[in-house]
Amino acid sequence: MSAAVETFFPSGFDSEAAVSGVAWLDRRRADALKRFRAVGIPHRRVEEWKYSDLRNALEAPRTRETLGPTTGDPFRGVAGSQFLVRDGRLDWASSKPSLPRGVEVLDLTALRDDSPDWVKAHFGEVLNDGTVGQASLALMRGGVALRIGPEIAIPFHLRFEQREPAAHARVLVIVEQGASLLFLESHAQCDGLTNIGVEFVLAPNAQLTQVRLADTAANAIHIEEIGVRVARDAKFRGHFTQSGAKLARLELAIALEEEGAEAALSGAAVVAGKRHSDITTHVRHDAGKTQSRQLFKYAVADRARAVYQGKITVAKGADASDSRQTAKAILLGERAEADLKPELEILADDVKCAHGAAVGDLDAESLFYLRTRGIPEREARGLLLRAFLEEAVAEIPNEEVRAAAWRFIDSGISQTGEAAQ
Amino acid sequence: MTILDIRDLHVVVQGREILKGISLSIAAGEVHAVMGPNGSGKSTLSYTLAGRQGYDITSGRILYQGEDLTALAPEERATKGLFLALQYPVEIPGVTTMNFLKAALNAQRRARGDKELDAMSVLRLVRETAGQLKIPEEMLRRALNVGFSGGEKKRLEILQMALFKPTLAVLDETDSGLDIDALKLVADGVNALRAPDRSMLVITHYQRLLNHIVPDRVHVLSDGRFVAEGGKELAHELEAKGYAGLARDAA
Repeated sequence: MSAAVETFFPSGFDSEAAVSGVAWLDRRRADALKRFRAVGIPHRRVEEWKYSDLRNALEAPRTRETLGPTTGDPFRGVAGSQFLVRDGRLDWASSKPSLPRGVEVLDLTALRDDSPDWVKAHFGEVLNDGTVGQASLALMRGGVALRIGPEIAIPFHLRFEQREPAAHARVLVIVEQGASLLFLESHAQCDGLTNIGVEFVLAPNAQLTQVRLADTAANAIHIEEIGVRVARDAKFRGHFTQSGAKLARLELAIALEEEGAEAALSGAAVVAGKRHSDITTHVRHDAGKTQSRQLFKYAVADRARAVYQGKITVAKGADASDSRQTAKAILLGERAEADLKPELEILADDVKCAHGAAVGDLDAESLFYLRTRGIPEREARGLLLRAFLEEAVAEIPNEEVRAAAWRFIDSGISQTGEAAQ
Repeated sequence: MTILDIRDLHVVVQGREILKGISLSIAAGEVHAVMGPNGSGKSTLSYTLAGRQGYDITSGRILYQGEDLTALAPEERATKGLFLALQYPVEIPGVTTMNFLKAALNAQRRARGDKELDAMSVLRLVRETAGQLKIPEEMLRRALNVGFSGGEKKRLEILQMALFKPTLAVLDETDSGLDIDALKLVADGVNALRAPDRSMLVITHYQRLLNHIVPDRVHVLSDGRFVAEGGKELAHELEAKGYAGLARDAA
């Protein structure tokens, strides 16, 4: 076995993790493992991973880092139950649940033959075409399942912390009819490998707003695959900000399955140093009258690399659907790199599809203007960076959460050598 | 006291000499006008004074209050009391006008060693002046210059001039793109800021602005050189004869 494979398959996997004695679960995990092994660890010659060579990143020698004491929960102070997943397992002792009736939380290390139907129906069934996502199921240590009953509206924090060398975890969230969930997800990770698979199921008229801030060490390998099913008139909104890592990949596969389903994705990220940050989205319009929107903005400094791959598929018969995609990057260093790749696959008639991608520099004219007003260059550049990212951050609907996102982004801006406000 | 003293200034932009040896001296409280046709080097003069990159001084010097200006960054010049009202103020989506004003005011205060102002104090300060220039508060909440009319943009420039209280204000074609009402409003704003300790350099193509902002001296720029200089009546002469006629007289 190569070093890459060993890192990905921590020792003891075969004996301990894969066999739980719960038949339905073991079957799904064995299938997932089979699917993952058939494809293997993705590398640059795999088209979807060509900007994010996971095999190479795993094989490269890595120095250890420690999780700084300052990396606190960026959403601290925002109302809602708080749950902590530490090194791939739900940590009840550190969690602060305060859940209304009709909301269920389940520890995924405790799946049984008689687990609730909502778990058995969906767990491992939503995210089933990814590669690394299969590994997160096969190799999972634990994680959390959450069900929001009909017509209930709550905020929910899920925090991931990792200090151990490798952890695979899973999340399942069911938002029932007419319910609404604000799902705040934050990550703090040292140098290890994290691989998380997330499944969201939105029933008719449900709403899920996810805001994800991932603070990962420069040497970390951080992978998350999110699968989303959106039913009639339901709406999924996702906002994603990540600091990047040795390799950071967030992949979203969203299926708009019935009429009126909507997805709005946005992201704003500052990537500096030698970090890598990849966000890959695939939105499938499987039914007519569905809508999707993607707006991603990156500021890339030093020798960092930002990747956005955005695929939109409009299935046959999904008429009168509407999708818009914009991806923009500003390069702050001569060795900074941005790879923006839109991809459209349209099999229906009468659809609206608009996309645009652009890579540029901070506007010299604007910079000069601000400086003639007495604003020092560093501060002026920081102001223009904020201005560039603002449109994407503005997509976050909740003001407190938006402020938390700005704090995260501002700390990223100061790391580029520009002054944040 | 001399505020600005330009001596035999030569400026090269992208390998081409645009200013070919101009000299100009402005005393405290004086208003000077530089007039000239398109391409004569007017904007080059204002950009050079403000310190824009790519405007290279190949010979001559610029003294501002006795100090060599050319070694200073644009923000340092601003902090020392030099203000440039741009011909085309820049639109910056994502930065509200109010936040921009606060950032600029406080950056200058910080550089001078003054205490920074909080948002309320800045708002109070801005309100005092904004009213006279007919700048509604709603405009201050919008992104800087985005969607502003030509007149609104120029009024905002003058608002900044009032807030920053410069020692030397350079107004680069402040009249361009304005109708007569907007022009009058802007000119009134500028006139209200005339003071014994404030000098101005008004750069314009047309004489009409100078009917409202009456200069002490007029300099006519043509092909990078001053071809005529005189009092305010020179502007009227220019209006009658045109730049071509004046150039003929000078020759």
